[in-house]
Amino acid sequence: MPLKMRRAAASLGGSLRGICGARAGLAGATVLALCLLLTALSFYGLIGFGRGGLDTRLLADPYFHSLLQFSFKQAGLSALLSLLLAWPVARALYYHPGLALQRSFLRLCLLGFCMPTLVLITGLVALLGRNGLLTPLLGENWNLYGLGGILIAHVYLNLPFAVRALLLALQHIPDSSWRLAAQLKLGPWQRLRLIEWPALQISLLPLFGFIFVLCFNSFAVVLALGGGPRATTIEVAIYQALKYDFNIPEALTLAWIQLLIAGSLFLLLARLGSAHWLGVDSARRTRAPRPAAPARTLHLLVYATAWLSLTLPILALLPGLLDADLQRFDWPAILRPALITLILGLGAGFGALGAAYLMLLPVRRARIQHQTKRALALEWLSTHTLVAPALVLSVGLYILLLPRLDLDRYGILLVLLLNTAVVIPFAVQQLRPRLLQFDRHYDRLGRSLKLGVRARLAVEWRFARGACLASLGLVMLLAMGDVAIFSIFGSADWTTLPWLIYGYAGTYRLEEASVASLLLLGLCALVLLIFERERPDA
Amino acid sequence: MKTPLSFCTGLALGTLALSAAAESADLRVYTYDSFVSEWGPGPQIESAFEAQCDCDLEFIAVEDGVSILNRLRIEREGNKADVILGIDDALIEETRATSLIAPHALDLSGLKAELNWHDSDFVPFDYGYFAFIYDSTRVGQPVDSLRALIESDASVIYQDPRTSTPGQGLMLWVKSVYGDDAAAAWTRLASHTVTVTKGWWEAYSLFLEGDADYVLSYSTSPAYHQVAEGKNQYRAAAFSEGHVAQIEVGAITRNAQDPELARRFLQFLISAEAQAIIPVTNWMLPVVDDVELPDAFDSLIRPERIGFTPQQVEQSRRDWLREWRSAASR
Repeated sequence: MPLKMRRAAASLGGSLRGICGARAGLAGATVLALCLLLTALSFYGLIGFGRGGLDTRLLADPYFHSLLQFSFKQAGLSALLSLLLAWPVARALYYHPGLALQRSFLRLCLLGFCMPTLVLITGLVALLGRNGLLTPLLGENWNLYGLGGILIAHVYLNLPFAVRALLLALQHIPDSSWRLAAQLKLGPWQRLRLIEWPALQISLLPLFGFIFVLCFNSFAVVLALGGGPRATTIEVAIYQALKYDFNIPEALTLAWIQLLIAGSLFLLLARLGSAHWLGVDSARRTRAPRPAAPARTLHLLVYATAWLSLTLPILALLPGLLDADLQRFDWPAILRPALITLILGLGAGFGALGAAYLMLLPVRRARIQHQTKRALALEWLSTHTLVAPALVLSVGLYILLLPRLDLDRYGILLVLLLNTAVVIPFAVQQLRPRLLQFDRHYDRLGRSLKLGVRARLAVEWRFARGACLASLGLVMLLAMGDVAIFSIFGSADWTTLPWLIYGYAGTYRLEEASVASLLLLGLCALVLLIFERERPDA
Repeated sequence: MKTPLSFCTGLALGTLALSAAAESADLRVYTYDSFVSEWGPGPQIESAFEAQCDCDLEFIAVEDGVSILNRLRIEREGNKADVILGIDDALIEETRATSLIAPHALDLSGLKAELNWHDSDFVPFDYGYFAFIYDSTRVGQPVDSLRALIESDASVIYQDPRTSTPGQGLMLWVKSVYGDDAAAAWTRLASHTVTVTKGWWEAYSLFLEGDADYVLSYSTSPAYHQVAEGKNQYRAAAFSEGHVAQIEVGAITRNAQDPELARRFLQFLISAEAQAIIPVTNWMLPVVDDVELPDAFDSLIRPERIGFTPQQVEQSRRDWLREWRSAASR
């Protein structure tokens, strides 16, 4: 942009009133700063306690090289497989918008993405473990544990999300492209290459990056299904360094490396394109050609397979219920934790949504003023808790606060605060495309009409309501599944449902654990049903 | 919509207001989560002791035994504990090294002779032997030694020695049976290991799902299945080399408000009354003789005890972990 224009834009921006104005930007910057402060404090806690030392010898340790290699390998493969398998499913959904149960399928996709890992692992073992329901079909040498199991679980968690994102990208193909394709009589291969691919291309890299980062930081799945010390990720290594050894220099070294790798990768991929993430922002019915019979059958087959794959691990939990004596089951003992989980989810959900909205104000302002670099930097900062090792965040704060605050009594507030902090990136990712779209379409109009803050907010709410409620549902679900943070700050007085499941399972009560797991899953499905209902297109 | 800013202020103010009002119990005990859960020993121990001391006992629970030690390391002299409960014998040297523990000055002559316990700072309150559990309806001929298990092709699940107590127990077990050949044994074991889990329950629930022939657990695990579920098929394999024990201990802190009350609590823990509660809630063995227990406890294996002293464990833990790490990932 020529300097003159840029200056004009900047001066325009400076005089902006309304929600993207200076005062609102300040509120956003404050929230962002507070969130960064939380992360900084946690690192400070660890550094202060470890007397600042780093363990640089670790960098020369062959064990470290192998764990770095494994972290990259499993995350790369997980992201690649998720995208490759999501692609045909997204196409099937795109070409057949009227498919039976399509809305339910998209909801199930969200549930899959937020599925508490301990429930998923139990389901996968019931399905594919040595005694699993499907295992006889898989041949003699089948073994769930190891890279295979990690990939299956990661693909289960991330494929549904990729399906939604790719479907959205396809829905952005303008009608004119299809009309042109029809006039030029493009064959299927040419349509794929000339129309579909360019639409997908911009989302692919950021999507790959997002899934890669999630898997790179994966913890519970790797520990349960990894099969041994060969399968160690950096996050797992941090946990191990902190547990028995209480080796803070080693944990810190690993934490910085993880932050560096995951953070720079995320930034790099975010620069290369802009995916629309989980937020389905428009319900356009494009005039995509209806495929002929053989392709249609194939699409239906893909769709049915996707349904089956997503539901099977959940269905596999049901036989366990038949063994459980539901009459004898201690229902009152489970009600309070269920309620606490819901309240915690609601608190973290609203907190994260509010924080994300405020954090996005400066980002939107930067976008309106075409300050791309600034916008990117702000976006990265607002999603930084995604790449920062979650363990460092909670252990660091624990070390810092334990001597200063009565954590036995107020730990639950930190459970809420930290859960809010770690789900903010997801709320940001969900809200951002819709709000940016709003700015693109209505910012000028809103300013020329000189709408006041209140009026503008009302318009914005009507536009972004679906995205807001859906992202509230999503982040609630993520917070409701937490055990990692609770294990550090929680107390028996405030037991949540996931923690109760661990408690049951930790004392041989595996039947109760499976009942509680299904209840948790049911609760999650209910939340989705309530918050996703508002969206016209999902 | 609530902003995080007002949320944080609310949090800070609320915390200040509440902490001023908080009152403290007469005796505060750091322990681990499953000890205080409603089906653990905590609730019964608390009411039984409160009935005789006319005092208020409060359990403060952290995730597990190691976390108790880590918490002491963080809080130093600022810790709130009068008593810590649930460190195991392999960790007592590290705990002693914090200089936060006071001698208990109790007479321990009533403890079982097989414990051979003479520590002046730590009092054992239960113990168990690490053992491999199998399902007798699936494994007809169980292995009879650690060597036989490692040389076999039976599928095995055990826990990561970097994150779990049973995993550390197996590390000591392999080391005391194999000595300098431990690395080769780990590599051999890795060839038929199904998975190595973070903690005990992941391993045990995978085993109950039928994912392995043997799972590392405790010699007392079969008693749970018999008493609570009426199931007889789960057994512990007795190994001819002997078994490594885990002894759970309690201790008085140097900054205890009322050391005498703390001492009385430890004394109570090794009394017949408390010792009858612990085995059927914590599923470990009592540390004194002549405790009345369900019949299921009579049928448990009674292994010979082998292993290392806490000092030896402290000195070599890091090296042995490294050895495991590289040998088992080969």
